Amino acid sequence: MSLPCGTRDYTYDTDMAILRTKTQWGLFIGLLVFLFTLPLYLGNYWLGVANLIGITLIAATGLNILTGYCGQLSIGHAGFIAVGAYTSAILTNRLGLPFLAGLVCAGLTAGVIGLIFGIPSVRVKGFYLAITTIAAQFIIIWVINHWSALTGGFVGIKVPYASIGGFAFISEGSQFYLIMTITVLCTLLAKNLARTRVGRAFIAIRDNDLAAEVMGISLFYYKLLAFFIGCFLAGIAGSLLAHWVGFMNAEHFRLTESILYVGMIIIGGLGTTLGPILGVIFIRLLQQILTVQVGPFLESTFTALPSGFATGIAPMLFGLVIVLFLIFEPRGFAHRWTLFKAAYRLWPFSY
Amino acid sequence: MKNKRFLIVVTVICLVLIVTALPFASACTPKAKPGQELKVGMMTPSTGPAAEKGAPGGHGVIDAMEYINKELGGAGGYPIKLLWRDSGYDAAKVATIVKNFMAEGCLMFTTHASAEMTAGMEIANRAEFPGMATYTSAVIYRPPQHIYGQMPDYGDDWAFFATYYMKNIWKGSGKPKMALHLLNNSTGYGARDGARALADKLGIELIWPPEEHTTTTISEMESLTRIKTKNPDVLFISSTPAPTAVILKNARDLGIYPGITIGCAHASFTKALIDLAGANVAEGVYGVFPTVSWDDNVPGIAKAAEYCKKNNPKDYGNMDYLSTWSTSLIVAEILKLAVKNAGYDVLAKGNVESWRAIETQAIQKLKDFDVGGLHGPVSYTPGDNRLDKYLRLYKISGGKINLLVDWTEAPLIKYEEFPWFGK
Amino acid sequence: MAELVQYLITGIAVGMVYALIALGFALIWKSSSVANLALGQLVLLSSWFTYGMLVQARFPLWLSFPLVILFAMFLGWTIERVALRPLIAQPILSLITVTLGIAYFIEGLVSFIWPWSVDALPRLFPTEPIHIGTAVVSQEYIWVVGISLVVFGLLSLFFRYHKMGIAMRATADDQLAVQACGIPVTTIFSRSWMFACIVAAIGGILISSIGGITYGLVETGLKAFSVVILGGLDSFLGCIIAGPIIGLCESLGGGFLTPFLWAGVKDIIPFVIIIIVMVIKPYGLFGEVRIERI
Repeated sequence: MSLPCGTRDYTYDTDMAILRTKTQWGLFIGLLVFLFTLPLYLGNYWLGVANLIGITLIAATGLNILTGYCGQLSIGHAGFIAVGAYTSAILTNRLGLPFLAGLVCAGLTAGVIGLIFGIPSVRVKGFYLAITTIAAQFIIIWVINHWSALTGGFVGIKVPYASIGGFAFISEGSQFYLIMTITVLCTLLAKNLARTRVGRAFIAIRDNDLAAEVMGISLFYYKLLAFFIGCFLAGIAGSLLAHWVGFMNAEHFRLTESILYVGMIIIGGLGTTLGPILGVIFIRLLQQILTVQVGPFLESTFTALPSGFATGIAPMLFGLVIVLFLIFEPRGFAHRWTLFKAAYRLWPFSY
Repeated sequence: MKNKRFLIVVTVICLVLIVTALPFASACTPKAKPGQELKVGMMTPSTGPAAEKGAPGGHGVIDAMEYINKELGGAGGYPIKLLWRDSGYDAAKVATIVKNFMAEGCLMFTTHASAEMTAGMEIANRAEFPGMATYTSAVIYRPPQHIYGQMPDYGDDWAFFATYYMKNIWKGSGKPKMALHLLNNSTGYGARDGARALADKLGIELIWPPEEHTTTTISEMESLTRIKTKNPDVLFISSTPAPTAVILKNARDLGIYPGITIGCAHASFTKALIDLAGANVAEGVYGVFPTVSWDDNVPGIAKAAEYCKKNNPKDYGNMDYLSTWSTSLIVAEILKLAVKNAGYDVLAKGNVESWRAIETQAIQKLKDFDVGGLHGPVSYTPGDNRLDKYLRLYKISGGKINLLVDWTEAPLIKYEEFPWFGK
Repeated sequence: MAELVQYLITGIAVGMVYALIALGFALIWKSSSVANLALGQLVLLSSWFTYGMLVQARFPLWLSFPLVILFAMFLGWTIERVALRPLIAQPILSLITVTLGIAYFIEGLVSFIWPWSVDALPRLFPTEPIHIGTAVVSQEYIWVVGISLVVFGLLSLFFRYHKMGIAMRATADDQLAVQACGIPVTTIFSRSWMFACIVAAIGGILISSIGGITYGLVETGLKAFSVVILGGLDSFLGCIIAGPIIGLCESLGGGFLTPFLWAGVKDIIPFVIIIIVMVIKPYGLFGEVRIERI
């Protein structure tokens, strides 16, 4: 990791710290202040978008740990989010448990289910594993749809407001604080995970799992742990999603969602903490702009155009963006950002 | 160098994004209304898995609003500003679109597919933002809150068809056996709930559990074989056109049909069904539909046909177009009543007050509003959030959908009184 | 037991449909190790193009069919040239994601050109059902089985004996060695994509003549994955054999298990099979087994 010139570390702790210079601390605190004062000047709609970004970010961080750090390709992430969402919905609706209990149980349940479907990862790699996760998603969604006594089946299940100790998170702003706090915590968790022994084991497995095994890293334990952590975060995201929307239905969790998540972390940059953040923000904002602004604009002003124009343009643009991105910058936004940082730090001697 | 060029490209893209996002910055400020207009938000699933219904639906909405603003002078003299969004049948998008509508000061919102409404209804209910669903499912408005259904749901379809069957087709003694073939979503299961609620009362024995299928099925031979062994007298299909066409074809191949009676719920009973299945396969199939067909000579058809042929000639004959055309007409009427009863100033605020006014002073004051004869009269009855409760029975003969029974009211079913109704 | 015969025949027929799509997938995997997740959308686009030729432009069948084949070749060439050529050495994740982006793009393209998203092809095969004993099978399925077998036969012969086919197999084995022999690897990728699109087009025409052209063609593509997994990702024989097996499991399982379990069991069977295969025999029945031992 490149640093500004003139930074020297005298102890191991400072060498390993995430934030080292005063500027970095200042920027970080400034970011937190900015983030937590957003409800003051954003309208309800944009707060809603920010909430959606926060929820997606938690799940994307989980997927990043699983796929980016540990190299286990998973295209079934929406299924694990569904597990978390439904667990939370069932516990708060049918059993009347408090929100926090539902949140934690959602994460744990999703983690355990992820563990079970991750067992094939010990035997297969790469694309085979991806297909297994797709199958896992379909099975999970099928079970949710058909176990109607528990999950409300195809119709769906209503989810009460999230509430901690009597305070109910009803307004968009209060939900924003709840979601953002959890998002910040999860991002810190992911960042620190990468620096610990577990994180290094993940990276070793991603780079060459046979060599890792030879060195004594137990593939069985660490691969399953990656699935557990990745799906635990997905479960947390699912629980927050359930309480944010208020009505849970399996329609939320199609295969296209899973594909979208993979797209997000790739565009953002695999294997970095900043990557999912950038990827999620980019994709969600792109979706909003295409849906809310570009689509209706095209449909209403260019009525002379053939009728499929506006409705077809949005997915076309979307796919095009993903393809172009991968052609021109396959390592994602985060890589560009690192290059940019290195460039401006060394300016005017950057090459 | 490649680096530099790419940076320039990125900067340009960012600038473009910022420029297009600038209008949003203005949405952050309090909702000032420069012109005197009434905003309404309407969404359809114009792309994605439901595009076959959503795309023509979207055209119907936009064309109808054009007609209302140009020829009827808007609602109560004020032009209607339509915010149309494509939800792509994606629940997360629906959630943000509903919030977008609320933030933009829309007075109400509508959805096309019932699954769209289930994704957005809690958000709307919590904020008291009134909504109307073109295609409905019982869970949207039982128990009734702020969401209204424009047309009867699939349970009502079943009830109507079953009642007609018992009265006019069933000639035997005892109870007829009915098989159900359901699409695996709220379309299919709406019919199941209706059947479960009323089968005993009507004296029909249901073959249980019902068969189900996916939207993408290409063969239902084995489920129909199973049905065949149970010797049913009647089969009710609640699905979309493509799977229904597959079922009809398979039923003919297996020799089940003709022999039993087949009835369809309204989600599949459109011209697309005849196109996909073929006129001779679909011959003699009954269907329930809450609107007229394009061949009917009612006053409202003329304008719908004119705009359809002008703007979207490919949609001529499409029932989703007609359904959402009527949705827009009803929305205009609601806004008109609101302007008359509550006054424009309340509506101009675009907040909870306006929404309450829309609900209590307009929607709940609807009485026998005639949508140009396109479907049954629209009225609000307390305790029942269905605005149009009337259905028609049709039969396919000679490759065309022909009317059998005119507007009949579908009775209210209080689903929440049954223990098995999901909540 | 009349049902048993019915289930058997339906299962095999439906399975061959899956196998045909799976062939397209196996082609690309076999020659360039790229997982083509846009398969369903390619089938969709080809079906719509066929519709455009047959119904909109009203060309006769003997003209439309070669045009569709040409279109499929052009499509395959374009995709390979524009989207995959620049990514030749990138990790497999990027390649998979690019195909996902292409899938989105094609979906948008389809609703752009043909916005009414559901239609029917004119009947290409006679519709009289054939009675085998007490079971009934639509003639369309028999034709599908027949044409699939013919396509499979042709492809196998091509790969066994034709120069280009042998070159493709060699590329799947070891790209560097092939380049050292002077065979342009990029041409091989191009050709294999073109072939895969042709196979997808044929599969699309067959399937949509049965069920109409809907968005569901994409989801049928997903079921084809289970065929590919069971049969082995890079084996044609595996596709043709695994296809009917999956179709049979769906049909028999759906037929006999549904009364005991839940309705809709039929839909989940291909995916459960994937999981079972993954745990027991990950490389499928006929796939090339990669042995990694320490």
